[in-house]
Amino acid sequence: MGAIEYAIDNWDRLLEFALQHIGFVLLSIVIATVIGVALGVLTYQRPTAAALVIAVSATILTIPSFALFGLGITFFGIGNLGPVIGLILYSQLPIVRNTITGLQEVDPAVVESARGMGMSRWQSLWRIELPLAWPVVLTGVRVATLIVTSIFAIAAYVGASGLGREIDRGLSNLGAAWAFDVVLTATVAIVLVALVLDVLYMLIGKLTIPRGVRS
Amino acid sequence: MPASEADPPAMIRLEELTKYYPGSDEPAVDAVTMDIPEGEIVVLVGPSGCGKTTTLKMINRIVEPTSGRISLEGEDVTDVDPDRLRRRIGYVIQQVGLFPHRTIAQNIATVPRLLGWDKERITERVDELLELVGMDPATYGPRYPKELSGGQRQRVGVARAMAADPPVMLMDEPFGAIDPITRDRLQNEFLRLQQEIEKTIVFVTHDIDEAIKMGDRIAIFGNDHRIQQYASPEMLLSNPINEFVDAFTGTGASLKRLNLTRVRDVALSDWPTAASDSPREELQRRLAETEHSFLLLLDRQQRPLRWISERDLARSDWTHHGGLKVRAVVEPHVTLHNALDEMLTSNVGVATVVDERGAYQGVVDIDTVMTAVNAMRAETRERVRVAPWHGVTASDVADATESRA
Ligand SMILES: Nc1ncnc2c1ncn2[C@@H]1O[C@H](COP(=O)(O)OP(=O)(O)OP(=O)(O)O)[C@@H](O)[C@H]1O
Ligand SMILES: [Mg+2]
Repeated sequence: MGAIEYAIDNWDRLLEFALQHIGFVLLSIVIATVIGVALGVLTYQRPTAAALVIAVSATILTIPSFALFGLGITFFGIGNLGPVIGLILYSQLPIVRNTITGLQEVDPAVVESARGMGMSRWQSLWRIELPLAWPVVLTGVRVATLIVTSIFAIAAYVGASGLGREIDRGLSNLGAAWAFDVVLTATVAIVLVALVLDVLYMLIGKLTIPRGVRS
Repeated sequence: MPASEADPPAMIRLEELTKYYPGSDEPAVDAVTMDIPEGEIVVLVGPSGCGKTTTLKMINRIVEPTSGRISLEGEDVTDVDPDRLRRRIGYVIQQVGLFPHRTIAQNIATVPRLLGWDKERITERVDELLELVGMDPATYGPRYPKELSGGQRQRVGVARAMAADPPVMLMDEPFGAIDPITRDRLQNEFLRLQQEIEKTIVFVTHDIDEAIKMGDRIAIFGNDHRIQQYASPEMLLSNPINEFVDAFTGTGASLKRLNLTRVRDVALSDWPTAASDSPREELQRRLAETEHSFLLLLDRQQRPLRWISERDLARSDWTHHGGLKVRAVVEPHVTLHNALDEMLTSNVGVATVVDERGAYQGVVDIDTVMTAVNAMRAETRERVRVAPWHGVTASDVADATESRA
């Protein structure tokens, strides 16, 4: 198998690409989570606003990534900035939707008792509602991460880092004998990155979801 | 209706409190005026949808009144900052609403933390409260709500509401979703607790029996979202102001009144007793001396052991374990209703009363119950004539009596 040989011979290069890939994905996800949760918090009590935000983020997700990254060059030039912004946009649907659902599903009796004991709107949200919605929010973040891990590979053609570079290099040399092995290796590496990130989320879940709300 | 002079000062005063929910042209609560005296349990009772919960929630401004005033300890709180107001008022909602992601100890610590108490004081207070509601702090403090039974959660809900020692507690059907036996126990525990803490409590229920048991005063709401009658339980049962109240308090009013008297309030009857290690001849002699057909054997600590009859004593295989086991043992704090209930299941037809240590005090028999009922009747009649209570005047009573005659 040429691909295995290729991976063994080039493991340090591949590792570096993989780490870049993880880095940019996580950077985008952290920013996307802050924005998405904020949008969710602002809209979950207003059905029209919530429906609007969800519709807009769903529409964004239907834009082909190839086109979005290409358009990004116009504003951000070549490099990682445009793709990171693209990933943040693509992450919004699962994060916003799950934040809204999670907050709406908090038992109204719990919120009423929080307010009834004298917590302000903000205290109730921060100390009670968001922690209770957190497992659902985290699931949204996890799904978003899976989506953008694969989408980020495409951004290589506008100059982004990561494992997409390898796929890009392979695909542009498809006549050559080694090209197929390179594409295959990078693709498997992306799947592995996704798996590693998923394990990471399991750990985050274990550490951040209190025993009282774990199912 | 201002309080009459004999009443304790009003802790909470509601004046013409009215609520229209948005989009509704019928009030959810219509012109409710009442004084809630300090240190008493006032029960709001009435059919579903009559506005009990809404009234309660207007007191801590979870629901903002459409019109009317609310005062707390003489201060008008209709327009003060609701968050600050709420930290002075304990609140137990019907569904308990414990925070599932926080331990029992953290749940109870909620208001003290909001008030900025220091850690040590909070820990101390939490332990004290858990003990107060009969739960071991070391066992239950670190648990999460889902690790408790329904009844235990209710108690934690009550403990949490009492955490910062608020003078006022609002309780919306706090014992609603519990089986009757546990509910009865929680009610008794709560009444015992109230004797110590003497809070001003507004208590909502739709169960008239619970209202009669728990309330120092009861406000009956009607389907018109207004208070029909606000009076002591005795008054409601003996002098319902209109047909609605009469129907709502229901049949069996006399039986319900037995809930108003406790065993410790009545004169107990005597019963012949003997030490369980007395010789057979002496027991036979004792029994022959009385007109009762059973003798009650007590152990050295005066605790009731067995009922023995002449036949038991005549048996050739007589031992001190002969006769019948003593059932239907009650403590002085139970209601006459409970005692009557026990009495009917006992094999001798009396309920045996013991003190906390289990020592024999006397018995409740049917005569005890009858005497108590007659005394209550006489007492209420007297009260109506001398000092008519809120909303009921002597002429109302006369009317009610006439219309039923
Ligand atoms: N948030 C709300 N919005 C609109 N209407 C409401 C709201 N809450 C209660 N109502 C209406 O106000 C009336 C009184 O309701 P409330 O909850 O005070 O009744 P309740 O006496 O507590 O009844 P229950 O015994 O069923 O709890 C009802 O007709 C109810 O439908
Ligand atoms: Mg209600």
